[in-house]
Amino acid sequence: MSEKPRHSRLAGAGVALLGAAAAFLSLGGRSGNAFLLRPPGAGEPQRFLSRCLRCGACAKACPYGSIRMDETGLAGGELGTPVILPRQKPCYLCADLPCVKACPSGALDAQLRDAKKARMGTAVILEREECLSLKGLRCEVCYRNCPLIEKAVTVENYLNARTGRHAVYEPVIHKEHCTGCGICEHSCILDRPAIRVGELQPESENLYEG
Amino acid sequence: MDIGRRTFIKGAAAAAALAAAGLPAAFPKAALADDGLTWGKAPCRFCGTGCGVLVGVRNGKIVATKGDALAPVNKGLNCVKGYNLSKILYGEDRLTKPLLRQGDKFVPISWDKALDLVAEKIRETLASSGPDAVAMFGSGQWTVHEGYVASKFMKAGIGSNSIDPNARFCMASAVAAFMNTFGSDEPMGNYEDLDLGDTYFLWGANMSECHPILFSRMTANRLKNPKVQIIDLATRFTRTSQEADRYVEFQPQTDLALANGIAHVIVREGLYDEAFLAENVTLKKGKTDIGYGVEDKFSFSDKGEAISFDQYRAFLKDYSPEKVEAISGVPAATVEELAKLYADKNRKVCSYWTMGFNQHTRGTWVNNLVYNLHLLTGKIAKPGEGPFSLTGQPSACGTAREVGTFTHRLPADMVVTNPEHRRKAADIWKVPVEKIPAKPTYHATEMLRALDRGDIRFLWVQCNNPFQAAPNTGRFRAAARKEGRFVVVSDAYPTKSTEVADLILPSAMWVEKEGMFGNAERRTQHWFKQVDPPGEAKEDLWQLIEVARRLGFGKLFEYPGQDLHHALFEEYRRFGLGIGKDLAPYEVYQKERGVIWPYVNGESVKWRYNTEYDPYAKKEKEKGISFYKNKKEHKKAVLWARPYEPAAEVPDGDYPFWLCTGRVLEHWHTGTMTRRVPALHRAVPEALVELHPEDASRLGIRNRDRVLLTSRRGSLELRASVGERGVPGKGSVFVPFFDEHRMINDLTLDAFCPISKQPDYKKCAVKVERIG
Amino acid sequence: MKARGWSRARRCVQLSVVALLASQLAGGGFFRGTLSASTLLGIPLADPLAALQLMLLGVSPTAHLLLGVALVSGFYLLLGGKSFCGWVCPVHLLTDLLERFPGRESLPRLPLKWKLGSLGLCLALTPVLGLPVFEALSPIGALGRAIGAGALSGAGLVLLILVAELFFARRLWCRSLCPLGAIYSGLGRLSPLRVAFEEKRCTGCRRCQKNCLVPEVLEPCIGDKKSRVRSGECSRCGSCIDACPTRALQMSIHKTVEKKEVIS
Repeated sequence: MSEKPRHSRLAGAGVALLGAAAAFLSLGGRSGNAFLLRPPGAGEPQRFLSRCLRCGACAKACPYGSIRMDETGLAGGELGTPVILPRQKPCYLCADLPCVKACPSGALDAQLRDAKKARMGTAVILEREECLSLKGLRCEVCYRNCPLIEKAVTVENYLNARTGRHAVYEPVIHKEHCTGCGICEHSCILDRPAIRVGELQPESENLYEG
Repeated sequence: MDIGRRTFIKGAAAAAALAAAGLPAAFPKAALADDGLTWGKAPCRFCGTGCGVLVGVRNGKIVATKGDALAPVNKGLNCVKGYNLSKILYGEDRLTKPLLRQGDKFVPISWDKALDLVAEKIRETLASSGPDAVAMFGSGQWTVHEGYVASKFMKAGIGSNSIDPNARFCMASAVAAFMNTFGSDEPMGNYEDLDLGDTYFLWGANMSECHPILFSRMTANRLKNPKVQIIDLATRFTRTSQEADRYVEFQPQTDLALANGIAHVIVREGLYDEAFLAENVTLKKGKTDIGYGVEDKFSFSDKGEAISFDQYRAFLKDYSPEKVEAISGVPAATVEELAKLYADKNRKVCSYWTMGFNQHTRGTWVNNLVYNLHLLTGKIAKPGEGPFSLTGQPSACGTAREVGTFTHRLPADMVVTNPEHRRKAADIWKVPVEKIPAKPTYHATEMLRALDRGDIRFLWVQCNNPFQAAPNTGRFRAAARKEGRFVVVSDAYPTKSTEVADLILPSAMWVEKEGMFGNAERRTQHWFKQVDPPGEAKEDLWQLIEVARRLGFGKLFEYPGQDLHHALFEEYRRFGLGIGKDLAPYEVYQKERGVIWPYVNGESVKWRYNTEYDPYAKKEKEKGISFYKNKKEHKKAVLWARPYEPAAEVPDGDYPFWLCTGRVLEHWHTGTMTRRVPALHRAVPEALVELHPEDASRLGIRNRDRVLLTSRRGSLELRASVGERGVPGKGSVFVPFFDEHRMINDLTLDAFCPISKQPDYKKCAVKVERIG
Repeated sequence: MKARGWSRARRCVQLSVVALLASQLAGGGFFRGTLSASTLLGIPLADPLAALQLMLLGVSPTAHLLLGVALVSGFYLLLGGKSFCGWVCPVHLLTDLLERFPGRESLPRLPLKWKLGSLGLCLALTPVLGLPVFEALSPIGALGRAIGAGALSGAGLVLLILVAELFFARRLWCRSLCPLGAIYSGLGRLSPLRVAFEEKRCTGCRRCQKNCLVPEVLEPCIGDKKSRVRSGECSRCGSCIDACPTRALQMSIHKTVEKKEVIS
């Protein structure tokens, strides 16, 4: 086309603006640094985002439907990436890691062979005032349901000071073993879970044992 | 005089307010604005622990519950089942109308029609087949009032002994052993033993998950007293085993050998209390090779023969630690250590058990054997010392056992076979003594078999779910649907039992009716009715009385000018007074957080048979222990020499695994209540089959793989649980029975202890295959 | 060939691709993924642009990915390059349907070369932002996820394009903006499958150009009497063939420039 009528220039400008808007919106980054739980083998967020082709093969491979493709909203370069919402469906740590096998680009690192060695995040009891176990009730459902029971989570007893004759059974997370699968968050008896999976916590370098 | 309900609730509200600080409620605080909110006390609807709760009601609906800080059992704490009590009445599919089967569907009918039909069917059955063919399948979850009415209905009204409760499936072995050892049912100690002892043996009981608050108490004791040892003796590694100081695994059924092995060492080393034995114990042996009850109409009665201590010593020769190791897998050295612990003069020893011991083809024997250990050492009926049988259901003690809703029983330990007992009952019930039948007819398992054979033509199930909870349910579900049987099920929700019923009657639940439960420590707890049942649901007691009226014996339940529940209880109370089963006056229960019986001169007997605490014992002697209830054994306890005999169905080439069944903390029994609480269902949505990691690896089964379990009676597909909350011994698998979509009892075997008639849910043979 | 045969065939294939994507909703492993990367009966398929972006990010592509790229690139190299756009891409299907709206002829068309700029921007931004920019923003991926996973969060991108094409510029995305189109038009330049032009039959009616997404590519034939469409921008959609009343255009495979083998 040799001719460029004026309205074509306008059209061009409009398009350019739209394009820029789209780019800006999409690449603008998520507001609030909210933690996203990724499938096993994702590794660090930057590593994962640079490899994920947003193809959804992992979601289809997951036999439980735990991996979801529509939970990132519009913001950022995370659009269309897979996310696990443990409260809906946690990761069940399938021994054959079908999600990792399905990933074409290695965004889910194929070097991960043992699902229990996945490190998707670290669980933490955020709501200590709501946790039933910490109130002295016999709950610890998160502990009993943990696939790495006695490794990633143990129970520590101390005397219930109020009654004087019962023990508090406090679930304690051991981050060096926690896979971040979210089964604990899923199992929590409360309407709003007291225990939640958050960002992966690095291993302790503290020499003090206490 | 009744304490007015309003006065009572005001007091409870004040108590609740005091106790409110720091206690969890099941609903958000915003919902609990004080206007119009009333609080009333009640025991928890679930297990035999009997925790106290406060129920918050507004506008005729339960809006919250919280632990009752004034309840001595739990002091305001609950497990997550108790935490969710406010939700159990409000499942979506609550039954609200009587439903009559028409083909494959159920259609609503009026109460009048329903009750007329029940009466008609009973009349028909009486005419065609006699009173034995009219049967009632009762429950350890019945209130004391309901059980009492049912028992009177059958034994004084219909004139039939065909009433037996689901407690036959949970506590019968314990009862039989209490009776043949001490001459009286129920433990001699109470929950304070958890605070006062220092050596706790748990036999085949996952106490951490099944009696959570009691285990919490045991753990607290250990925190305060470093001397405390908890020893878990089991066939499966559980959360209890994890908490215990010591886990000792034995092969299924070999608890018999192990207990005898411990006795062997105690006797060999002379660690027994000679003076105690001489004063309080007599020795006997019973029949051996006693069968397994697998055949229909199996019948057995034991016969005791006196033996000397030397004969007992000779009997124990077969149970040296080395021999026990060969049978059970427990190292000989361990047997020695356990015996030393039991006998250690500086240790206060308690033994706790539930279903591992009771649901056992030699359940009565193994209960006897653990009593032997306490009788040999004299560690019994003292604070912090003694054997304690834990109960599964909230009122297996209070209703089934104490009221005597069994085929052979009458209230207060009495039996139908004893003419004096029948006379006493006839006297209180104001019926001719000939009315009360003298011969027991069907225990629970046999009742279901009789339904299959057609010997029972009318069956009324109340407040429990036998067509999911019985062993070998495949046979019995089919039986209920046969021609010429009429099955009535009174329940609050649709269950596997209502599924096979001809007539379903909607029942009131828990605090929708006035009631009482009796827990494992002999504490009977009362609650007032606090909300109305939904729709047309009615309490089981009313249903029974309405039918009684139609059958012409309604006057058995008429107490003109008196409150019905009060009058029923006071009549029932007469059975136990003065014979060591004394209950308190009704007003006391209305006011207190439960009261332990015997209640004599305004005080509870905390340790029975102990002269320091029990006025009945004090009448017998000045000091020490008196087993005054065992009159026919000259007021002595019996030490029974019971051998090891193998299980009914042992793994073999075709079915190489043991199948054990049981519970998880989050669900209770057949899950009809807990699975309708969304949070509990979400926590444990399905029953899984637990495998030992080595077995799993050998079969190529990984965690969550799908597995097919097959026994000679049925097969079931389940997901596997490997290396999670419970690890069975090698060669065993474990499946909980709460999941109505995974009916594990289709695979279990209806073999039972020939003495107690309690089925063995812990041992049958299955094969395991991976399917994907 | 029947009347409008190519158009019908093309529509069939486009709808089959949508069905393939949608088949994932039923579960099972027949097809998994989006058009960026997928497996069909276990065979990997992958987009060459995806591999290119990963390499720019310093990520060595997996063997799985390389095989998929080889298969896809080989396939489209043989079968026309931008035939991906015309026959497979679901965004192209949507914008095809937009053509039915009135007022199409009055909208301006923007230059085809802009796609190169788009591709360049994509590739340049990728290492800067540390993510595969095309995969992040692609409406093709978004539409694939919407159809295959019910994930509607990327639908906004697609809507943006549809709105722009309705009101601002005709066939904007496919002609001028899609970076993937730039890559495939490169492959299309080399592909043996081409539209052949029989000069003797041409009456100069230009109905072919009226129906063409990229009417520029037909100008060398009609104007300069070239024997085939050489441009990589031709998507081999066959609309020109269907439109020509004198059968002057046909689909053909050429081994060299001179030989002719006619398919019609």
